[in-house]
Amino acid sequence: MAEPARIPGGKAIWVGIFAELTEFTLMFLVYFFARINHPQAFHEGPQKLSLAAGTANTVIMLSSSYFVARAVLAMRKGRSDITLRWLFAAFVTAVGYPIIKVLEIRWNLDHGVVGRGDVFQMSYYYLTFNHLVHVSWGLLGMVWIMFRTGFGAYTANNHSGLIAFASYWHATDLIWLMIFPLFYVLP
Amino acid sequence: MTTANKLNLSWLILMILTLSGMLVGEYAEAGFWITVSVAGVTALKGRLIIDQFMELGQASPLIYRIVKIFGLVVPALMILTYLLGSELAQVTQLPD
Repeated sequence: MAEPARIPGGKAIWVGIFAELTEFTLMFLVYFFARINHPQAFHEGPQKLSLAAGTANTVIMLSSSYFVARAVLAMRKGRSDITLRWLFAAFVTAVGYPIIKVLEIRWNLDHGVVGRGDVFQMSYYYLTFNHLVHVSWGLLGMVWIMFRTGFGAYTANNHSGLIAFASYWHATDLIWLMIFPLFYVLP
Repeated sequence: MTTANKLNLSWLILMILTLSGMLVGEYAEAGFWITVSVAGVTALKGRLIIDQFMELGQASPLIYRIVKIFGLVVPALMILTYLLGSELAQVTQLPD
Protein backbone atom coordinates (compact mmCIF):
# COMPACT_ATOMS: atom_id res chain seq x y z
CA MET A 1 0.00 0.00 0.00
CA ALA A 2 1.28 3.50 -0.79
CA GLU A 3 2.52 5.53 2.15
CA PRO A 4 0.11 8.38 3.03
CA ALA A 5 1.24 11.89 2.04
CA ARG A 6 3.15 13.57 4.88
CA ILE A 7 1.50 16.54 6.59
CA PRO A 8 4.21 18.30 8.62
CA GLY A 9 2.96 18.81 12.19
CA GLY A 10 -0.49 17.34 11.51
CA LYS A 11 -3.70 18.45 9.82
CA ALA A 12 -4.83 20.95 12.48
CA ILE A 13 -1.91 23.35 12.08
CA TRP A 14 -2.32 23.32 8.30
CA VAL A 15 -5.96 24.38 8.64
CA GLY A 16 -4.61 27.38 10.55
CA ILE A 17 -1.77 28.03 8.09
CA PHE A 18 -4.07 27.88 5.07
CA ALA A 19 -6.49 30.24 6.82
CA GLU A 20 -3.55 32.60 7.45
CA LEU A 21 -2.36 32.39 3.82
CA THR A 22 -5.91 32.96 2.54
CA GLU A 23 -6.36 35.99 4.80
CA PHE A 24 -3.13 37.59 3.60
CA THR A 25 -3.79 36.70 -0.05
CA LEU A 26 -7.05 38.66 0.19
CA MET A 27 -5.23 41.58 1.82
CA PHE A 28 -2.57 41.51 -0.90
CA LEU A 29 -5.34 41.67 -3.52
CA VAL A 30 -6.74 44.73 -1.74
CA TYR A 31 -3.22 46.24 -1.71
CA PHE A 32 -2.82 45.80 -5.48
CA PHE A 33 -6.36 47.07 -6.10
CA ALA A 34 -5.48 50.22 -4.15
CA ARG A 35 -2.08 50.46 -5.86
CA ILE A 36 -3.43 50.45 -9.41
CA ASN A 37 -6.08 53.02 -8.49
CA HIS A 38 -3.71 55.31 -6.56
CA PRO A 39 -0.32 54.83 -8.26
CA GLN A 40 1.11 58.15 -7.05
CA ALA A 41 0.47 57.40 -3.37
CA PHE A 42 2.11 53.98 -3.72
CA HIS A 43 5.02 55.37 -5.75
CA GLU A 44 5.82 57.94 -3.03
CA GLY A 45 4.81 55.74 -0.09
CA PRO A 46 8.02 53.75 0.56
CA GLN A 47 10.02 56.99 0.86
CA LYS A 48 7.87 57.98 3.84
CA LEU A 49 8.58 54.78 5.79
CA SER A 50 11.69 53.75 7.71
CA LEU A 51 13.55 51.36 5.40
CA ALA A 52 15.93 50.57 8.28
CA ALA A 53 13.03 49.35 10.44
CA GLY A 54 11.60 47.22 7.62
CA THR A 55 15.01 45.71 6.86
CA ALA A 56 15.71 45.07 10.56
CA ASN A 57 12.43 43.21 10.94
CA THR A 58 13.17 41.17 7.81
CA VAL A 59 16.56 40.15 9.24
CA ILE A 60 14.85 39.31 12.54
CA MET A 61 12.13 37.17 10.95
CA LEU A 62 14.56 35.31 8.68
CA SER A 63 17.08 34.69 11.46
CA SER A 64 14.43 33.54 13.93
CA SER A 65 13.02 31.22 11.26
CA TYR A 66 16.54 29.84 10.63
CA PHE A 67 17.03 29.19 14.37
CA VAL A 68 13.72 27.30 14.49
CA ALA A 69 14.80 25.18 11.49
CA ARG A 70 18.04 24.37 13.35
CA ALA A 71 15.99 23.47 16.45
CA VAL A 72 13.98 20.95 14.41
CA LEU A 73 17.18 19.50 12.98
CA ALA A 74 18.66 19.09 16.48
CA MET A 75 15.50 17.36 17.71
CA ARG A 76 15.66 14.96 14.78
CA LYS A 77 19.03 13.89 16.17
CA GLY A 78 17.49 13.47 19.62
CA ARG A 79 19.34 16.47 21.10
CA SER A 80 16.60 18.23 23.07
CA ASP A 81 19.21 20.28 24.97
CA ILE A 82 20.53 21.74 21.69
CA THR A 83 16.95 22.16 20.44
CA LEU A 84 16.14 24.28 23.48
CA ARG A 85 19.18 26.51 22.84
CA TRP A 86 18.15 27.09 19.22
CA LEU A 87 14.59 27.85 20.32
CA PHE A 88 15.88 30.30 22.91
CA ALA A 89 17.94 32.03 20.20
CA ALA A 90 14.84 32.12 17.98
CA PHE A 91 12.74 33.64 20.79
CA VAL A 92 15.28 36.29 21.82
CA THR A 93 15.67 37.28 18.16
CA ALA A 94 11.94 37.32 17.47
CA VAL A 95 11.18 39.52 20.49
CA GLY A 96 13.08 42.19 18.57
CA TYR A 97 10.22 42.29 16.04
CA PRO A 98 7.56 43.92 18.27
CA ILE A 99 10.24 46.16 19.81
CA ILE A 100 11.27 47.42 16.35
CA LYS A 101 7.58 47.82 15.49
CA VAL A 102 6.96 50.07 18.49
CA LEU A 103 10.01 52.20 17.63
CA GLU A 104 8.92 52.30 13.98
CA ILE A 105 5.39 53.45 14.85
CA ARG A 106 6.79 56.21 17.07
CA TRP A 107 9.06 57.25 14.18
CA ASN A 108 6.07 57.12 11.81
CA LEU A 109 3.95 59.35 14.03
CA ASP A 110 6.80 61.87 14.31
CA HIS A 111 7.00 61.92 10.49
CA GLY A 112 3.27 62.19 9.80
CA VAL A 113 2.67 58.56 8.77
CA VAL A 114 -0.68 57.92 10.44
CA GLY A 115 -3.55 55.47 10.09
CA ARG A 116 -5.81 58.20 8.72
CA GLY A 117 -3.20 59.17 6.12
CA ASP A 118 -3.39 58.35 2.42
CA VAL A 119 -4.40 54.98 1.00
CA PHE A 120 -0.79 53.72 1.06
CA GLN A 121 -0.48 54.48 4.77
CA MET A 122 -3.83 52.85 5.55
CA SER A 123 -2.82 49.70 3.63
CA TYR A 124 0.54 49.70 5.40
CA TYR A 125 -0.98 49.90 8.88
CA TYR A 126 -3.69 47.35 8.12
CA LEU A 127 -1.34 44.72 6.71
CA THR A 128 1.55 45.19 9.11
CA PHE A 129 -0.66 45.28 12.22
CA ASN A 130 -2.29 42.06 11.08
CA HIS A 131 1.14 40.53 10.63
CA LEU A 132 2.17 41.75 14.09
CA VAL A 133 -0.84 39.90 15.55
CA HIS A 134 0.31 36.70 13.84
CA VAL A 135 3.87 37.17 15.11
CA SER A 136 2.51 37.72 18.64
CA TRP A 137 0.62 34.43 18.51
CA GLY A 138 3.79 32.80 17.23
CA LEU A 139 5.81 34.18 20.15
CA LEU A 140 3.28 32.72 22.61
CA GLY A 141 3.46 29.41 20.75
CA MET A 142 7.25 29.52 20.90
CA VAL A 143 7.18 29.88 24.70
CA TRP A 144 4.87 26.86 24.93
CA ILE A 145 7.13 24.79 22.65
CA MET A 146 10.18 25.77 24.74
CA PHE A 147 8.43 24.58 27.91
CA ARG A 148 7.46 21.31 26.23
CA THR A 149 11.00 20.79 24.95
CA GLY A 150 12.48 21.64 28.36
CA PHE A 151 10.21 19.10 30.08
CA GLY A 152 11.19 16.36 27.61
CA ALA A 153 7.88 16.14 25.75
CA TYR A 154 9.55 15.58 22.38
CA THR A 155 11.84 12.85 21.13
CA ALA A 156 13.70 12.23 17.89
CA ASN A 157 10.82 10.01 16.73
CA ASN A 158 7.91 12.06 18.09
CA HIS A 159 8.07 15.85 17.87
CA SER A 160 5.08 16.74 15.74
CA GLY A 161 4.20 19.63 18.09
CA LEU A 162 7.57 21.22 17.38
CA ILE A 163 7.10 20.66 13.64
CA ALA A 164 3.61 22.20 13.81
CA PHE A 165 4.96 25.33 15.48
CA ALA A 166 7.91 25.50 13.06
CA SER A 167 5.54 25.29 10.06
CA TYR A 168 3.43 28.16 11.43
CA TRP A 169 6.48 30.29 12.18
CA HIS A 170 8.00 29.74 8.73
CA ALA A 171 4.65 30.58 7.10
CA THR A 172 4.51 33.82 9.10
CA ASP A 173 8.07 34.57 7.97
CA LEU A 174 7.05 33.84 4.34
CA ILE A 175 4.22 36.37 4.62
CA TRP A 176 6.60 39.05 5.92
CA LEU A 177 8.86 38.38 2.93
CA MET A 178 5.93 39.45 0.74
CA ILE A 179 5.03 42.50 2.86
CA PHE A 180 8.57 43.91 3.02
CA PRO A 181 9.04 44.66 -0.70
CA LEU A 182 5.45 45.92 -1.11
CA PHE A 183 5.79 48.69 1.45
CA TYR A 184 9.50 49.38 1.88
CA VAL A 185 11.18 48.55 -1.44
CA LEU A 186 8.99 48.62 -4.58
CA PRO A 187 9.13 52.16 -6.01
CA MET B 1 26.04 18.97 1.65
CA THR B 2 24.61 18.32 5.13
CA THR B 3 21.19 19.66 6.11
CA ALA B 4 22.85 22.00 8.62
CA ASN B 5 25.10 23.44 5.90
CA LYS B 6 22.11 23.84 3.56
CA LEU B 7 20.32 25.82 6.27
CA ASN B 8 23.42 27.95 6.92
CA LEU B 9 23.84 28.69 3.22
CA SER B 10 20.12 29.48 2.80
CA TRP B 11 20.23 31.95 5.69
CA LEU B 12 23.32 33.62 4.19
CA ILE B 13 21.67 33.95 0.76
CA LEU B 14 18.50 35.34 2.40
CA MET B 15 20.57 37.96 4.23
CA ILE B 16 22.36 39.02 1.02
CA LEU B 17 19.05 39.24 -0.86
CA THR B 18 17.50 41.27 1.97
CA LEU B 19 20.39 43.75 1.95
CA SER B 20 20.14 44.00 -1.85
CA GLY B 21 16.44 44.80 -1.36
CA MET B 22 17.41 47.55 1.05
CA LEU B 23 19.71 49.09 -1.56
CA VAL B 24 16.93 48.95 -4.16
CA GLY B 25 14.56 50.63 -1.69
CA GLU B 26 17.14 53.34 -0.98
CA TYR B 27 18.37 54.16 -4.48
CA ALA B 28 16.27 52.63 -7.28
CA GLU B 29 13.77 54.54 -9.40
CA ALA B 30 10.57 52.91 -10.64
CA GLY B 31 10.98 50.92 -13.84
CA PHE B 32 10.20 47.61 -15.47
CA TRP B 33 13.50 45.88 -14.70
CA ILE B 34 13.53 47.12 -11.11
CA THR B 35 10.02 45.69 -10.69
CA VAL B 36 11.11 42.38 -12.25
CA SER B 37 14.19 42.30 -9.99
CA VAL B 38 12.17 42.94 -6.83
CA ALA B 39 9.60 40.33 -7.89
CA GLY B 40 12.35 37.79 -8.69
CA VAL B 41 14.15 38.33 -5.39
CA THR B 42 10.84 38.04 -3.49
CA ALA B 43 9.99 34.77 -5.28
CA LEU B 44 13.50 33.38 -4.66
CA LYS B 45 13.43 34.24 -0.96
CA GLY B 46 10.01 32.64 -0.63
CA ARG B 47 11.19 29.50 -2.36
CA LEU B 48 14.21 29.20 -0.05
CA ILE B 49 11.90 29.35 2.98
CA ILE B 50 9.50 26.81 1.46
CA ASP B 51 12.16 24.32 0.33
CA GLN B 52 14.93 24.67 2.92
CA PHE B 53 13.31 25.87 6.16
CA MET B 54 9.86 24.28 5.80
CA GLU B 55 11.17 21.25 3.84
CA LEU B 56 7.83 21.07 2.03
CA GLY B 57 9.43 19.19 -0.87
CA GLN B 58 9.14 16.16 1.40
CA ALA B 59 5.53 16.91 2.39
CA SER B 60 2.20 16.21 0.73
CA PRO B 61 2.39 17.41 -2.91
CA LEU B 62 -0.88 19.32 -2.42
CA ILE B 63 0.52 21.32 0.52
CA TYR B 64 3.77 21.93 -1.37
CA ARG B 65 1.88 23.15 -4.46
CA ILE B 66 -0.46 25.49 -2.56
CA VAL B 67 2.36 27.14 -0.58
CA LYS B 68 4.50 27.49 -3.72
CA ILE B 69 1.57 29.23 -5.47
CA PHE B 70 1.17 31.56 -2.47
CA GLY B 71 4.87 32.47 -2.80
CA LEU B 72 4.31 33.45 -6.44
CA VAL B 73 1.10 35.50 -6.09
CA VAL B 74 2.73 38.71 -4.89
CA PRO B 75 5.71 38.62 -7.32
CA ALA B 76 3.34 37.91 -10.23
CA LEU B 77 1.00 40.75 -9.22
CA MET B 78 3.96 43.14 -8.92
CA ILE B 79 4.81 42.59 -12.59
CA LEU B 80 1.20 42.37 -13.79
CA THR B 81 0.17 45.63 -12.14
CA TYR B 82 3.31 47.38 -13.42
CA LEU B 83 2.53 46.35 -17.00
CA LEU B 84 -1.26 46.61 -16.94
CA GLY B 85 -1.98 48.85 -13.94
CA SER B 86 -4.01 51.52 -15.72
CA GLU B 87 -5.99 48.97 -17.77
CA LEU B 88 -6.74 46.94 -14.64
CA ALA B 89 -7.72 50.14 -12.79
CA GLN B 90 -10.31 50.93 -15.48
CA VAL B 91 -11.98 47.53 -15.26
CA THR B 92 -11.95 47.42 -11.43
CA GLN B 93 -13.43 50.88 -10.77
CA LEU B 94 -17.01 51.20 -9.66
CA PRO B 95 -19.26 53.15 -12.05
CA ASP B 96 -20.18 56.72 -11.04
